[in-house]
Amino acid sequence: MNWFLKGIRMGVRTEKDYHHETKWPSRLKRAQEGEVKCPTDAIGEEWRPERCIFCRACEPLFSPTGETLTPKVERSDRTFRRSFYLYPLDAGSCGACNLELRLISSPQYDMTRFGIFFTNTPKHADALVIMGNLGKRMEEVIRRAYDVMPSPKLVILLGTCAISGGVTGIPPDIRGDVIIPGCPPTPASILDALIRAKGGEIP
Amino acid sequence: MRIIGDLGPYCLTSEGLREGPCAREVEEHRDLGYGSFNFLYGPSAGGLLESVGFEIATYGESIERIGHVPYKGRQIKITQLPVEEALIRVERINGAFAASHSISFLQAVEKAFEAEVPYEVTVSRMAQLELERIRNNLFVIQRVLESASFLVPSYLLLQQVEEVNRTIARSCGHRYFFGANYPGRVECEHEVPSLKIGDVEKILENRIFIDRLQGNGVIKEDNSIGPAARASGFRYDARLDSDLFVYRDFDLKVPTQDHGDAFSRILVRLEEIKESLRILQELRVKPHTFPMRVRDGEGIGRVESPSGDLAYLVRIRNGRIERAFLLAPSSVNMRLFLRSMPGNIFTDFPFNWESFGIWISELEVDLK
Repeated sequence: MNWFLKGIRMGVRTEKDYHHETKWPSRLKRAQEGEVKCPTDAIGEEWRPERCIFCRACEPLFSPTGETLTPKVERSDRTFRRSFYLYPLDAGSCGACNLELRLISSPQYDMTRFGIFFTNTPKHADALVIMGNLGKRMEEVIRRAYDVMPSPKLVILLGTCAISGGVTGIPPDIRGDVIIPGCPPTPASILDALIRAKGGEIP
Repeated sequence: MRIIGDLGPYCLTSEGLREGPCAREVEEHRDLGYGSFNFLYGPSAGGLLESVGFEIATYGESIERIGHVPYKGRQIKITQLPVEEALIRVERINGAFAASHSISFLQAVEKAFEAEVPYEVTVSRMAQLELERIRNNLFVIQRVLESASFLVPSYLLLQQVEEVNRTIARSCGHRYFFGANYPGRVECEHEVPSLKIGDVEKILENRIFIDRLQGNGVIKEDNSIGPAARASGFRYDARLDSDLFVYRDFDLKVPTQDHGDAFSRILVRLEEIKESLRILQELRVKPHTFPMRVRDGEGIGRVESPSGDLAYLVRIRNGRIERAFLLAPSSVNMRLFLRSMPGNIFTDFPFNWESFGIWISELEVDLK
């Protein structure tokens, strides 16, 4: 049997509500009083998810709620509400963000139902998704990719390394319109961010 | 004795360390002459999952010479750090192989501390490594299918990769094993993914798909590792010769093939998924702690990562890392890939590249 028919016979594997409980990373809550030695200074007066690498060093003073992390969307654009093309750019990641981003196209999440697609060139992209620390020779690559993108365009910082550097390096020197915390962010968290960035509402 | 690869200033063999780098054939760089030209593929291109550059010399269609151009290199400092803090960084060298990295690193630390590792911890680590192997092998096959634009089976495989990730999250709390292993502690519970391997096997019956892989990127070298070695008939596997695991108790079967091409590497990976699932079903895993006394010393840890031998050499003084070296399987596999590519044409590139399961993150890392 050919794969097209086989695909149809498999039925729908896509999940209406793609959020499901994952302990790490998820929103943390303080469970006990006490001083925490956080390797990325994510815990001060309050917990800052964009600095957190979810290394569990703060347990048991902080505990995971299992709730999907909320991305910070500083700018969204409804121009992209029907079709939103992403160009992923690995600035110097460990590979986990790359994998999680790829998984939003898996049948469980199916990003295409929300009008979200990957493109192979920044010239066709609506958003640049930057992952990882700033690698040795990546500054110029990021700048050139951004410059050739048509306007309007968004910059999405995916994962703690790209947002604040984490424990393995420094972040790329570029301002993010959308910030997706996590080490790495879960596919549910990434999809939430992308839907909001294109002016949509999370199902 | 087999040669595994360079570990810092040493050559790691199946019988231990030897002084100096491993002996290699000197690459010949013949002049290509009139009509040839060089171009750069990468560093950021749609067909590549990570940023990496390749300098390719060609007359137009066939690849005559190819070299790796690093772009995303990271410097990660772990020396002078306590073991726990170094481990947080080691886990993030290669997220896809985080269990392999952290377990190998911890084995080296335990050897340095002369610690006795309980059976329960060993078994839990084996379960993590097999889960990681299943996920990675599924992902490698998916990448090859995507390169062939076989989208229905490609998405089917992605679904199974996601299923494994969710299993890992249920087992160890994190989809990439971050924070699952500590000095003297392991956090995972027993979980086995529910996979449809029959569906994956049927993909490999497709003649059009097979034609893209057979005869592509042939490499048969006895100083190779992992699926690349096993695809060319060498029964090399760290699980067979490591005394730090108990695979012998589970009658581990190591699949091999003879042709040494991309198709053989995919077949080996598929068989490994089935064997890893079988082992996983027999293992009983639960969280466990054990005491460790900090002392000065040096040790080597070695595991069979999804792409072959992965090793750490760690020296500890006053509870801190004094020096550490990494043998990343991707460094050996990149050498094999570059040697296997000349003579093939451009359209062969993605199939051959993906079949090696190389991660640039661990290849270009500079461990300080």
